[in-house]
Amino acid sequence: MSAGWAKHLADVLRRNDIRTFATVPDYIVSHVLEDLWADAGCRVVTVTREEEGVGLLSGAWLAGRRGALLMQNSGLGNCVNALASLNVASQIPIVLVISHRGDLGEFNPAQVPMGQATGPILDALGIRWIRPGSIAELEAQGDGLVKLGYTRSLPVAIVLPAELTGGKQG
Amino acid sequence: MSAALTRAAATRLLAGRLTGEIVVANLGQAALDLQTIADRPLNCYTYGAMGQCSSIALGIALARPDLRVVALDGDGSLLMNLGSLCTVATEAPPNYALVVWDNEVHQTTGGQPTATAARSSLAAIARGAGIEKALEVRTEDELRRAYDRMLGEDGPFVVCVKVEKGRSEGRFTDRDVVGQARHFRQALAAR
Repeated sequence: MSAGWAKHLADVLRRNDIRTFATVPDYIVSHVLEDLWADAGCRVVTVTREEEGVGLLSGAWLAGRRGALLMQNSGLGNCVNALASLNVASQIPIVLVISHRGDLGEFNPAQVPMGQATGPILDALGIRWIRPGSIAELEAQGDGLVKLGYTRSLPVAIVLPAELTGGKQG
Repeated sequence: MSAALTRAAATRLLAGRLTGEIVVANLGQAALDLQTIADRPLNCYTYGAMGQCSSIALGIALARPDLRVVALDGDGSLLMNLGSLCTVATEAPPNYALVVWDNEVHQTTGGQPTATAARSSLAAIARGAGIEKALEVRTEDELRRAYDRMLGEDGPFVVCVKVEKGRSEGRFTDRDVVGQARHFRQALAAR
């Protein structure tokens, strides 16, 4: 059984025709993955490093498929050059689903620097992002964000704060 | 030790055999040679994201199992994304072939040696990742046989081609990366 927010997020992605997913799992996005793994209409590829997912989903887009990359914000750091020099440069859209460690309530000091850098990194890449604090906000903004991504033909990001997901307790 | 094959000759030999395959070319020398020798709508040239050629091709192969996808990578670039070999082995798309032009140097940046100049074998790494059809090729005869197999049999294949050092004689005349991605996507959609 996945958490309530996770089912809503999986539904936002699916109802926007996203059926191809890449992931390096973390505790939080794994709740969403449970829904996607259980769905025979979805393909989830576990990659070894998040940047690989950027390449894979860019290929899927060139072949006509929409894709989303599910990862922790540490993984965003592993993707920066590929997002910039492939997706932003060539206008290849991708939906990033990023669990936000290293912010409110964080117990692990090693998570904090990337947690605080997540928004500035997305801003520096010109990637439009939302950070819904509740299921209601996710439902109000999720479809619009994904639509904007494909209208601009650029990456967009849904950042998942602890207020939405319950975070990870240390 | 310099190998007998050149990247341009090996590209030309491949181009002569292509029909409806998708070809994804790594940034730099692989893309330059392919564009110069055999530019075609079903070629996807990459200009950034060093290391991602093998993954971009995997994404296309998984999305379009009806088409054969050939990636032309370089040793320096594949060494940046060795994990992609594990993902290829796990997903095991039969329509996927990764050709590596292995000249044992970072050619575009001036010829600094890579790990394949020392002790590392990309074909052995691919086998260790779980790709059974991982070949290393040093002569034209071996290359012809490898092309026959990777264009005729179910994959996934990794064909590591030991080639001489040397820059491409081609020059990019069109760096409209947005337009090229759009045109490639349209060409693929029409197949």
